[in-house]
Amino acid sequence: MYLIVIGGGTVGYYLSRDLIERGEEVTLVEKDGARAEWLESQLGSIVMRGDGDELSFLATTGIERADAVLAVTGDDEDNLVALQLAKERFKVPRTIARVNNPANVSIFKMLGVDEAVSATEVLLGALEPKIGGQ
Amino acid sequence: MRVLIVGCGRVGSRLAADMSAEGHEVTIVDRNQRQFDLFATRGVLGPAFKGNFVIGDGCDSELLKRAGVEGADAFIAVTEGDNRNIMASEIAHHVFKVPRVVCRLYDPAREDAFKNSGIHFYCPTLVGAAAIHKLVEE
Repeated sequence: MYLIVIGGGTVGYYLSRDLIERGEEVTLVEKDGARAEWLESQLGSIVMRGDGDELSFLATTGIERADAVLAVTGDDEDNLVALQLAKERFKVPRTIARVNNPANVSIFKMLGVDEAVSATEVLLGALEPKIGGQ
Repeated sequence: MRVLIVGCGRVGSRLAADMSAEGHEVTIVDRNQRQFDLFATRGVLGPAFKGNFVIGDGCDSELLKRAGVEGADAFIAVTEGDNRNIMASEIAHHVFKVPRVVCRLYDPAREDAFKNSGIHFYCPTLVGAAAIHKLVEE
């Protein structure tokens, strides 16, 4: 599979590293130059420096042949716009978002994103059985 | 008309003041209390302004509910961030079905990409460049 990961923060780094270890073809997009250099020193030449929400840049990432795009920056609005462009403009079959505001899990789906994952929601889910059991 | 404006900058505050003066019911949202204070000090949102201020993130659906998005006739997104404006406008249009949604985008490429979504876009970059061009050649 060819996967594009947008956002080279902690989540984007570990996600890309694991995907590469699994033998997937990955491009990791990071807008900050210094961060992109560090990522490249760790992961090799799979890193591209640019804005994941810019059409002209996305067009240079080979996105038309991507099987999935994962947007994992810390900003929900940037993840949403990047994935909507991937879906609408480049017909990417699968779009997956990290969201920070748990309410955005359902909102992102209403707005055309295939999957949205909220760490907050996962953590609340981990707590819940105990809260319920007390 | 009930109007919800997200982004209390120069444009948002001016629009809020003008529409409030015309008798519309205006609510203006911004993440920073400072923005309201700034435009109150400058006299744009002075004592004559009859609208409401709400502090919070205009991309947060819960905050928008508290600001009255469900009963709004018009929604205007004029923060400094294009992506924030797109997201807030899409929530207003698709989730809360606000009848008229206007979104400012500085980036003409984004306007082009999102133009068929039912949201009304305004691009000051294109409008401003054309106006300046005209003034230069006059």
